[in-house]
Amino acid sequence: MKTENPKTKTENLSARPRALVLYGYGLNCDYETQFAFARAGAEAVRVHASELISGQVSLWDYHLLAVPGGFSWGDDHGAGVILALRLKLALGTALREFIAAGRLVLGICNGFQVLVNLGLLPGFKGREGERLVALIPNDCGNFRDAWVHLKVLPSNCLFTQGLELLELPIRHGEGKFYAPREVLQELADGGQIVIKYATAAGEAAGGKFPENPNGSLMDIAGICDASGRVLGLMPHPEAHITSTQHPTWTLDAETWRRRGEPYPEKAGAGLTFFKNAVEYLRGAVV
Amino acid sequence: MAVRLEIGWRPELPDAEGETVRRQAREYFGLEMDMVRVLRLLMLDLDLSQEDMEAIRTEVFTHPVTQVSGFKPLARDFDGAIWVGFRPGVRDTAGAVAQEAIEAYLGRSLPAGAGVYTSKLFLFSGGPLDSGKLSQIARELLANDLIQEFRIFARKDWDHETGVGIILPRVHLDHTPTVAVFELESLEALRELSRQRHLALREADLPIIRDYFKRPAVLARRAAVGLKAATDVELEYLAQARSDHCNHNTFRGRFHYRDLESGERLVLDNPFKACIEAPTREIARKKPWVVSVLWDNAGVGQFDADFSYVIKGETHNSPSNLEAYGGSLTGIVGVYRDPLGTGKGAKLIAGLYGFCVGPRDYAGPLKPRLHPRRLLDGVIEGVKDGGNKSGVPTINGALYFDDTYLGKCLVFVGAVGLLPRTVKGEPGAQKAARPGDIILMCGGRVGKDGIHGVTASSEVASPGTPAGHVQIGDPYTQKNMQDFLLEARDQGLITFITDCGGGGLSSALGESAQKAGGIEVWLEQVPLKYQGLDPWEIWVSESQERMVVAIRPENEAFFKNLARKHAVEATVIGRYTDTGVLQVNYQGQACAYIDLSFLEEEFPPWEFDAEWLSAARRLSEPVLGEPADHQGFLLEMLDRPNICSREWITRQYDHEVQGGSVLKPLIGRQAQVPGDAAVLRPRLDSSRGLAVSLALNPAYSRIDTYHMAAVTIDEAVRRLLAVGGSLTHIAGVDNFCWPNVEYDPKGNPDGRYKAAQLVRATWALRDLCLAYEIPLLSGKDSMYVDGLLPGAFGELHRVSGLPTLFFTAVSLLEELTRALTLDWKAPGDLIYLVGQTHPELGGSEFYEMLGYAGVSVPQVHPQEFLVYYRLLEEAGRGQLLASAHGLYRGGLGVHLALASLAAGLGLEVDLSPVAPESPAHVALYAESAGRFLVSVAPSNQARFEKLFNGQPLYRLGEVRRDKTFKINRGRHTLLETSLNTLQAAWQRRFGNLI
Repeated sequence: MKTENPKTKTENLSARPRALVLYGYGLNCDYETQFAFARAGAEAVRVHASELISGQVSLWDYHLLAVPGGFSWGDDHGAGVILALRLKLALGTALREFIAAGRLVLGICNGFQVLVNLGLLPGFKGREGERLVALIPNDCGNFRDAWVHLKVLPSNCLFTQGLELLELPIRHGEGKFYAPREVLQELADGGQIVIKYATAAGEAAGGKFPENPNGSLMDIAGICDASGRVLGLMPHPEAHITSTQHPTWTLDAETWRRRGEPYPEKAGAGLTFFKNAVEYLRGAVV
Repeated sequence: MAVRLEIGWRPELPDAEGETVRRQAREYFGLEMDMVRVLRLLMLDLDLSQEDMEAIRTEVFTHPVTQVSGFKPLARDFDGAIWVGFRPGVRDTAGAVAQEAIEAYLGRSLPAGAGVYTSKLFLFSGGPLDSGKLSQIARELLANDLIQEFRIFARKDWDHETGVGIILPRVHLDHTPTVAVFELESLEALRELSRQRHLALREADLPIIRDYFKRPAVLARRAAVGLKAATDVELEYLAQARSDHCNHNTFRGRFHYRDLESGERLVLDNPFKACIEAPTREIARKKPWVVSVLWDNAGVGQFDADFSYVIKGETHNSPSNLEAYGGSLTGIVGVYRDPLGTGKGAKLIAGLYGFCVGPRDYAGPLKPRLHPRRLLDGVIEGVKDGGNKSGVPTINGALYFDDTYLGKCLVFVGAVGLLPRTVKGEPGAQKAARPGDIILMCGGRVGKDGIHGVTASSEVASPGTPAGHVQIGDPYTQKNMQDFLLEARDQGLITFITDCGGGGLSSALGESAQKAGGIEVWLEQVPLKYQGLDPWEIWVSESQERMVVAIRPENEAFFKNLARKHAVEATVIGRYTDTGVLQVNYQGQACAYIDLSFLEEEFPPWEFDAEWLSAARRLSEPVLGEPADHQGFLLEMLDRPNICSREWITRQYDHEVQGGSVLKPLIGRQAQVPGDAAVLRPRLDSSRGLAVSLALNPAYSRIDTYHMAAVTIDEAVRRLLAVGGSLTHIAGVDNFCWPNVEYDPKGNPDGRYKAAQLVRATWALRDLCLAYEIPLLSGKDSMYVDGLLPGAFGELHRVSGLPTLFFTAVSLLEELTRALTLDWKAPGDLIYLVGQTHPELGGSEFYEMLGYAGVSVPQVHPQEFLVYYRLLEEAGRGQLLASAHGLYRGGLGVHLALASLAAGLGLEVDLSPVAPESPAHVALYAESAGRFLVSVAPSNQARFEKLFNGQPLYRLGEVRRDKTFKINRGRHTLLETSLNTLQAAWQRRFGNLI
């Protein structure tokens, strides 16, 4: 299936776009990512990475590829490096064709690390497939699980439309966004820096720990490609699908109670990423 | 030809790992250095062209933007260097993955004998770095000589052409596997054999074993399979099966208990049966939600109509004490295999931990193998890698410091799984090893790992000898195996599954053979890490990441295909039979042939003398006046190692993966305070919650282990109630960690007292479980928490750990949106104390801070408590409570502060109604059981107080709008301070750790 594309531009998209959620080889956020897509209205299927690599499953049967969080191949040779290598060897340019055909790719945490090692991000024009940025060990020197405030920048990234300020958890040891100055400049100029770590008030974190939890340059938490159809981010949107996943939800619940109303579980801010993707795919001619 | 690939960060980039080492060297040894950089080394023992090597370097192992690499030494400017690599035979997951990646890149398999070995080179700049200092850093920070080797390079000795050279930790065993046979002519011969081979056979077992091999019928049937005298495989099997570890001889022993004060004598036969099994069976009859208990790897309780939960607790003390990281890593990854091996296999949904170590800043004369600081860093990291890399949230845990754990640390690990109620129409919690089913070993391969556990550590290691007795777990391999087995389960393929842990195949197959009624094993089929293992070694090796699965023979191809999809090795190694015999073959020849009924026969129970002298006769209450400076006292209490914030541990653990952590381990807005219990949402599509609590109170063991155990169980129950759990469904897991209880006039002169301590703790377990109706779904005992430590002059001291009970408890929440947290919710809310405060300071943190134990240990009165526990549950259901929190170690003063810190809201309370006959420090710091701190909105005051009419309920005051924390007693203000001051005290000690 290296570069063949048997179904390109021929499919009539049903009301439920199909999302492929990768699992296996140490990935581990596959169930909740599948759940998030399903809740957003997609038909989400967990597919073992070996089935994609061997060609038993065709990428083209899906409208979206999600690489979730985890520790693929143990992450001992740089986070996401080996899974990226395996996908690159097996799929060749098919992934780029997949994106060019108007389909979507989402990489969360380990998935983000995979996308930058595949060179799908940043995916500058004419330099597609090049590794230009990296996610390196956190400045704090350790794995860290903490909720962070995020500021979403205006961009053409279709996943983040309608979002401004939100909270999500980060859970990683290698999430410091690093790129040479000229690449950072090009990312900024191209509007590809879509999510930044921020203070609770929405101000820039300014590299300060713990608001910027890993020392990312320019407080970068997530970037998209030039098309806006590929997003990679370190924070976990699939971990904030409902309000009871937020660390201080019981305070919110108590205020409802005092109004004499039962506490309704509300949608969490992370669900927007998935809903945006599903809505886009529904409207798109893929 | 082998080459060495070196990889490092580009010089302009920070090196976070190096920086951590620099920080640790400063903290551990007071060494100031300018910089530490780390190079990753791959020794590529591959026969490849230069082009291929270069392509691998650039395309696989070097990031073009951030890394530099080369086949020549990269190190240039440094003052000293330390190379650290694994000893031969130690699991090198990164090396194995690298080889896999190279094969994928080349598109072909590498020939047998090819290998990739990873290691690290640490480069130090600045600072006084003589070879002594470097050696100290190597020995006490970077390398553990049980599993690693290190080499030190001074700058002047550095060869820029060869660097560290080529170091290949290949295993080569020049050994032809053989089966040894032993004529057991005399008991003395068997005794000597047991000593030589570290079999640890009990004296009383010797004649029974010898006589078995002399029975004419046995001899005749052995002769038919070509066996005469006993083989090493058989003796190893019997030793494993009879070991305390597998057979729990201590807990099944006979205790002759004598109260030295009253002269009363009694015999407790088999505490396990009397105090664990019998009460659990009795309770289970009343609790239809108990699905499976007392036979499988872990117990099972019902979660909802479709799923059950599975829970298990384990301890991994001895291995962790030798190699902290590897011990705790194999511990947590190992306990995951218990739910995975329960019923037809459960998916892991949560992990737990509990560490008991010596003081982190210990500076006394005793010299434990690993300093508590290093030991703690290691065990924390082991659970981090084990949990995070397995995709299992670590939702709850505990850390407890005490001098007595210098002798041996405790590493508790727990696991919760989710199991379908039915799998392809069959009950998910049932499994059966059936004659005719074939047996497959899945997961890792077998090496000389963990053979005879720690006894091997005294053996001389030579180059090429695999360092087997201490292991490094491999969560990556196990995660693949878990993914695979759950899919095999859902396909209905698994008829029986169990984990391969302590005792290896011997234990896993021996126990399942008892259930099936017979077994035949083909040891030569077992995949090995390297050749040259004797059959008995294959039989008892404890190589990790393995499960044993039985399937119908017709499903073999299907099962193996599924294994291939998941890159998991699955090999047929035998079959279950109905012969009543355990038969082990090697290369077609029987090497073990034992009647399974033999182990069911009457081996004599272990006997223990237990002597108890009541606390009142041993100890006394200190004569102590009330502190004048209550504020200073509280601040000092908040800074105590066992009270203060340990946020740095919790943050290293992914406690949210799988998306179901509804109440996370840390609660709060101003400061992050540990919650009472975790609440999980095991099914994202349901609003049902599972609450999990953990308690331990070893300090009370200094006074009376009965009350230690009772308070610990009461605490675990209150922790569940505080988050909204229900009394109708509480399941327990007991993990006992005890010093040796066998009296020996020289080696263990207080053994009889320790035995009495054990008896009393099991009585409390029985009494409290019956009172609170807690079936014990799982449990484990870990004896021999003792160490021999050299002192300042080289003299050896025996240090025995405090008798410790880790008690884990589980409850259900019908509706998780009603879960409660401990933080105050709104200014003006009323603060109540529920439960009586007695002058019970014995064993308290308050006394400990002042250097006392005392005698007035807290006591549990379940029948009194239960009345208002039920009311509290009702108040929660009726949504009358804004917050709820149990009172635990540290008492009311500490926990008022924590609830305020979590909320970021101050308070003003009056403690007059609390222990009114006693001085204020009793009200503030007594650790009486059965108490809660709750807050209630003013609009709910009348309903709430009416509900508790006639019960011990005390309104103490209210939540303030500002951050002032004020405690009065009548007209006296005991203390008035700000939350910021409290927070600084609470976070000072470990606040700068990450």
